Amino acid sequence: MKQAFSKFSPFQVDPEKVWADYGINSSDFAPATDAEKENMVEVRKSVSYWRDAARRFKKNTVSMVALGIFIIVLLFAFLGPSLIPYDYANQYRSSQKLGPFEYSRKEALVKSIEDQVDCMFATALQPGSATGIDPGDYYFKYKGDTYCFNLEKRLGEAVIILKDGELSIVRETHIHNGEIKRSTPLEFTNEITDGAKQLKVATKVFPHMVGTDSQGRDILARTMYGARVSIVIGIVAALIVLIIGSIYGAISGLCGGVVDFVMMRIVELIYSVPEVLIVLLLQVVLKDPLQKWFDSSHTWFANALSTLGAGIVSIFITFAVLYWVTMARIVRGQVLMLKKQEYVTAATALGASNGRIIRRHLLPNCVGQLVITTCLQIPSAIFLESFLSFLGLGVSAPMASLGSLCSDALGTITIFPYRLLFPGAILTIIVLTLNLVGDGLRDALDPRLKK
Amino acid sequence: MLVYIAKRLAAAVATLLLIMTITFFLMNTIPGSPFLTEKSTPQQIELANQKYGLDKPLIVQLKNYIVNYCKGDLGVSLKMQEGTPVKDILFKQGKFELSMRLGLLAVLVAVVLGIPLGCLAAYKRGTWVDGLLRVLTTVGVAIPTFVLAATLLIYLGVKAQLLPVLSGSLTDWKAYIMPVISLSFYDVCYIAKLTRTSMLDAINQDYIRTAKAKGVRNKWIVLKHALRNSLIPVVTFLGPLIAFIITGSFVVETTFSIPGLGKYFVESVINRDYTIIMATTVVVSILVIVMNLVVDIVYKIIDPRITLSSSDE
Repeated sequence: MKQAFSKFSPFQVDPEKVWADYGINSSDFAPATDAEKENMVEVRKSVSYWRDAARRFKKNTVSMVALGIFIIVLLFAFLGPSLIPYDYANQYRSSQKLGPFEYSRKEALVKSIEDQVDCMFATALQPGSATGIDPGDYYFKYKGDTYCFNLEKRLGEAVIILKDGELSIVRETHIHNGEIKRSTPLEFTNEITDGAKQLKVATKVFPHMVGTDSQGRDILARTMYGARVSIVIGIVAALIVLIIGSIYGAISGLCGGVVDFVMMRIVELIYSVPEVLIVLLLQVVLKDPLQKWFDSSHTWFANALSTLGAGIVSIFITFAVLYWVTMARIVRGQVLMLKKQEYVTAATALGASNGRIIRRHLLPNCVGQLVITTCLQIPSAIFLESFLSFLGLGVSAPMASLGSLCSDALGTITIFPYRLLFPGAILTIIVLTLNLVGDGLRDALDPRLKK
Repeated sequence: MLVYIAKRLAAAVATLLLIMTITFFLMNTIPGSPFLTEKSTPQQIELANQKYGLDKPLIVQLKNYIVNYCKGDLGVSLKMQEGTPVKDILFKQGKFELSMRLGLLAVLVAVVLGIPLGCLAAYKRGTWVDGLLRVLTTVGVAIPTFVLAATLLIYLGVKAQLLPVLSGSLTDWKAYIMPVISLSFYDVCYIAKLTRTSMLDAINQDYIRTAKAKGVRNKWIVLKHALRNSLIPVVTFLGPLIAFIITGSFVVETTFSIPGLGKYFVESVINRDYTIIMATTVVVSILVIVMNLVVDIVYKIIDPRITLSSSDE
């Protein structure tokens, strides 16, 4: 080509001559070696789809803040319970109906002793016959002597009297059942002895930061637990929707024709079902048979489900029956659109199998949509669960979800509004941050949709 | 048009029959009998079953439901108000009317506030007004109804004593305020978001540029050109919303002690009052189906480019 062109070129010149004009000698040049050629190739990694999306997501301040807050809520729900000494199901007797940072008489007593004595050092966890320790025994040092008292046993009104800010301990003989006694046998050091193995160092009395409910359960602990239950339900329900919806939608979109027609009519039918009514019916219908099945069957599967409880499992079933339709429609739409793309035609022309086309071309191209829809499905699942629990149909006591906590609080709302407002606020934060993260994901994964 | 509506109605009847069948079998799987109480003997249950035709095979019962419904006979309540015709319970005792009054008001509020707020946000795009509205609407769609309703109840009702705590049968205009706010808050926020998004979509269209080039004022562009074209998603959302909201919300009716349909339905499910469950489901389904049909026709009015045909998706 070049030769042919130069043949007709009127400006035929000898390059050597031109170079000489500029003082360049061709012998100064040598062909590049392979290594040198390698260096010349510009080293720039191709940016993958996910890396690109992650970069876009990181630039989105609102979504990053929302993600941060959501992670804090996750820590609250999953790590929180191990940080506070209360349990979601335990009913702390004598601490019913406490307000935030209120102490029961018993706790106030321990706390006042804590403030007075030299050191408060141990409480027994298990009965130790060898050491003569009973569960609930508190040991403390006062003016060089070790004392022991037990709060679980019946405590007379006059166990410990605070006089002029001085702790005075009523003599053993004055106390009903002898709950306070001078105690000599236990000498505690920092070393763990056999006897001390059954003891834990008494912690300061931990406040019920959000108070307790009418059964004496710590509301903070219950809210942490409830948030965990709600988040898990949301995620599992979204995954169920993802699996069923995408398989259904993909089959419908790929097969087309009569199959597609029939499958889409079914979707339309489910759309026009009044879902709240059917959800209610399903919940009521499923609860008892599920419970029966849990009681009779002992496979690992049934056992795993029975720990969740019939209420939660029937929520999952509800999602599996009714809520996959939107996902199915989205996936079908994506598949229909992608099917017509040139690269799919090219792959088909090159003889690629159906499986390869799905794996290599269709799936990677609609995975963004799937992630977005699933992420936005989580808050709507949490909403539905909280609604059902609010009706008293979802989780059952002593289990808790954010919805059931709000529902429990409704009866006493005029006296203890925080009992509803606290879990309600957590629920709102979870839904809000997930919505914002979902929006950010949509902008990041599918920039065309950005508004 | 008429052919289209006829086709849709035929499909609706089929859907309704299917929904009735599903509901029928679902409610019959609820364990226990509506007549089962602590005092009832097996003979009494047997008698009651015979009286209300529950001893017949399920298929016959279902057929009876369908035949009676075609005649406009909804049967009588089995348990909650034994012997009272369901039609009277739903329509004459004011339950449906109560829920409908609240619901329509809530829809009205949602439309009257939601669409202008969305327009405002789109019109003032990028300014602090838009920012504030975005924050409000985003937070608004994340607040569950029961949290909002309870919060209103505590602060406006109990603490400030501005509004009545028990709304009852809504005799006073003050009684409407809190239930309507609770019912419509989510929808106001959602419609505002929806309007803003679709309005911004519309603003990028060519005809808007043409209007601008002609020198039409920004305000008129938003109101006359963009709004009409951005209403379609809102109408889609409104259709089913109206159907559900006028049939009552359990949460709001419970929180404010309103004896409406939403609360009654939940009670009927818990009490296994079969005839009431069936009647409520059918009423709601009919409303949903009709509203969806209305939505499709409204589409056509808003946007004449849309052709009505049932075949293509």
